[in-house]
Amino acid sequence: MILEASGGVDASEYLPLSVPMPSCGGGVIDDSDSIELPPKSLADLLDFDAWGEILTTYGRTMRVAVALTDVHGHLLGKCHNAQPVWKLLHDAAPGWAIGCPFCITTHLPCTAVAKALETGGGVMVRDQAGLIHVAVPLSLGKLHLGAIIAGQVFDRYPEPLPLRRVANEVGVSEQQLWDVARKQRPVSRATLQTSGDLLCALGQAFLQQRYGAILESRLAETNGRFRLLVEGVRDYALFTMDPTGCVTSWNVGAERMLGYAEAEIVGRNFSCIFTPEDVQNRIPEKQLDKALHAGRAEDEGWRLRENRRQFWAHVNITTLLEGSGPVRGFAIIMQDVTERRKIAIVLEEARQERARLQESFLSHVSHELRTPLTAIYFFTTNVLDGLLGDVTPEQREHLASALDNVKQLKDMVSDLLDITRVETHKITVEPRHASPVKLVADAFSTCRTNATVKNISLRSGVAPGLPFVWADPARVRQILINLIDNGIKFTPDNGTITVESRLLAEDGAFLCLSVSDTGCGISPENREIVFDRLAQVRSGAETSRSGLGLGLFISKELVSRHGGRIWVESQLGHGSTFYFTLPVFSLAKLCAHVFTAPNLQAGSVTLIAVDVVAVEGTVQEDILPELRRVLEGCINPDQDVLLPSMSDAESAETFFIVGCTGFSGFEVIASRIGLELRTFDNDSKLKPVISSTTLLVEPGKSGEEQIAEVTARIERLVQAHLLGKESLK
Amino acid sequence: MSGHKILIIDDDQPLLVGLTARLKANGYSVVCATDAVSAVAVARREVPDLVILDLGLPAGDGFLVLERLRGLTDLVATPVIVLSARDPADNKKRALDAGAVAFFQKPPDNHEFLTAIRQALGETIALSTFLKT
Repeated sequence: MILEASGGVDASEYLPLSVPMPSCGGGVIDDSDSIELPPKSLADLLDFDAWGEILTTYGRTMRVAVALTDVHGHLLGKCHNAQPVWKLLHDAAPGWAIGCPFCITTHLPCTAVAKALETGGGVMVRDQAGLIHVAVPLSLGKLHLGAIIAGQVFDRYPEPLPLRRVANEVGVSEQQLWDVARKQRPVSRATLQTSGDLLCALGQAFLQQRYGAILESRLAETNGRFRLLVEGVRDYALFTMDPTGCVTSWNVGAERMLGYAEAEIVGRNFSCIFTPEDVQNRIPEKQLDKALHAGRAEDEGWRLRENRRQFWAHVNITTLLEGSGPVRGFAIIMQDVTERRKIAIVLEEARQERARLQESFLSHVSHELRTPLTAIYFFTTNVLDGLLGDVTPEQREHLASALDNVKQLKDMVSDLLDITRVETHKITVEPRHASPVKLVADAFSTCRTNATVKNISLRSGVAPGLPFVWADPARVRQILINLIDNGIKFTPDNGTITVESRLLAEDGAFLCLSVSDTGCGISPENREIVFDRLAQVRSGAETSRSGLGLGLFISKELVSRHGGRIWVESQLGHGSTFYFTLPVFSLAKLCAHVFTAPNLQAGSVTLIAVDVVAVEGTVQEDILPELRRVLEGCINPDQDVLLPSMSDAESAETFFIVGCTGFSGFEVIASRIGLELRTFDNDSKLKPVISSTTLLVEPGKSGEEQIAEVTARIERLVQAHLLGKESLK
Repeated sequence: MSGHKILIIDDDQPLLVGLTARLKANGYSVVCATDAVSAVAVARREVPDLVILDLGLPAGDGFLVLERLRGLTDLVATPVIVLSARDPADNKKRALDAGAVAFFQKPPDNHEFLTAIRQALGETIALSTFLKT
């Protein structure tokens, strides 16, 4: 690496090493093990007095100026012949600060030292005067010590340096020097004698000579302690494997847990501890694969002891890497958690049993409450409607109030049942193509009575022309009624409830509906809990409340079943706004498997319109769901889509099919519809009128553009078809 | 006043009283049965134009009654409306599949319930034609 600082303060760049200068593997004695040295040993290693003499020799031998720095590039001490380096650096960078001798650019302080330590190779810097300096990294294992800085280095020594003399002068053997150099880079002896690699090699050999023994004893000590630790662990199985999954070491804990002695299992594949089913499903291989890709894998499952008895194990696999090199193997930590598993199973069973009991209890209660409620309802309405004679205005008022309470009670009973369904995950939504305008209007018509009592006005800011949503109308109505009734409950007389809608700016696939009131608002701490089960916020001012406090909990569940989310914004005293999102109906999503690139390009996407007409009179609405089922049976769901009802009109006896058919396919569908309809309606009172349009898209457009085009055209065709039929009437 | 005869099968006495009053006020004649066994007997004897059927009954389930009614020649086309306190999620489809024309959970809305009765009684004439009369 060359750090060039030629053009002044910020013109630094790294260049590939083009001349035989110190290159790679700078100071690494053993890169597979990392040890930590206590501070005292570290101080010893960086003791300048210990270094002074050798640095002087080093500089003299290599005919360069030399100094020692710590890992930050701070000078640790001066050698008498290091003076020229500092002088030179000082001249090159007038702003140079004491204590940071290698900062010759202000923008990249000490980059050369940092880079040398990072790469482990020598880093060369060319200064303004065109002179070269080298930072040689000093590392022991993964421990960075600092760097030797050499100034006024030659690109290439004019004459070969005698290796033996150089080695002797620094106090290492020639063989050692040679070994270190070869380990760094495969160089020939002749090259080494003339190249800067020698700088690195020499520094490194010296480090090894002086500190290798310390390091090794330190390593041995650490390893020994580690081995004791591993062997002593009895509650965990600790073992290692080679890259193919064959066991290479096995501790006492593993022997206790799995029953194999170390001698029995070393060399065997670890798949022997898996159940036969797992082995058949290649689970052992899959786990190693996962560990290889992610660096680690975690798993819980049944494992086999040597005596073939199963236990529930918690397993951690860690991949052992050699630097950035190949995988050396895997280390496994395994814990027997059978007891924990047993407890978890018992707890889960108890939880399910409790949920089941609760469901059956609540379902029973709800059933039992409904029976007397029905009698009260009939008697109240009978009197109220005058079936038993005239009613005075005062009596009417009381009865109306009784009826109101019956309805509230009925809603609470429904909530009770819903809550059990939420908890047993039985609550269902059946999404359809639904108009938000109509959903809001429906909800308003139900809530109007309650609103009128408190003279609260209901306003809808839901504009026609919004996209349709893909939602269960009954459930959305339930959510809206919950939110609106809630608003009414917490809003003083003469207030306003406003329902609005907008497409989410951040995600056009969702429509956001909001219900705002002018009520008492919700404090920040309560905003967190309003959606919790049985949450009903208490406030001194408001005492008239009813309901079980389940509405928001159920609404939240219903919204999330639709894939949307619900939240509230509120200011105490200024009202609250509840927001929830619903997925927008998307023809493109519904027909994704039809609108594929090959289908679009082949021009085989076809829109089929099926008008079911009655020979006499009109088709009865009740049989439309039946007809829909009949048509569903006529298409191939892998290739065709029967669109949801695309119109809010009452007589929606037109069905649309988007298919990948072409003309022949269209004929097949048409004849099948004719046949099925005759079977369904054996009096032949119904007749299908089937038409089709095959949609060709412009070639050369991107897939997305083509889908957008075909979607828009289908929507236009559907509207035109429905309008045309309307005008015929 | 249509004068159609409606059979209510329900074991809850107060409901029978309340609903009978409502139906009579709407011009129907009403007969009642309070258990699954007598229900079929009353149905055979009275041959009602429409049956309102509860599901939880003494001496047999409402579904059993429905099945038996469907087996009687005189009553094979008589519309049955189920009126039950049971959860529609579990029972509505089953009831419709078994031949009921509508399912109402208790308590029903008077207006909706009577509309369904009127529709069902109108339907008997052209039930198989799917046409509005």
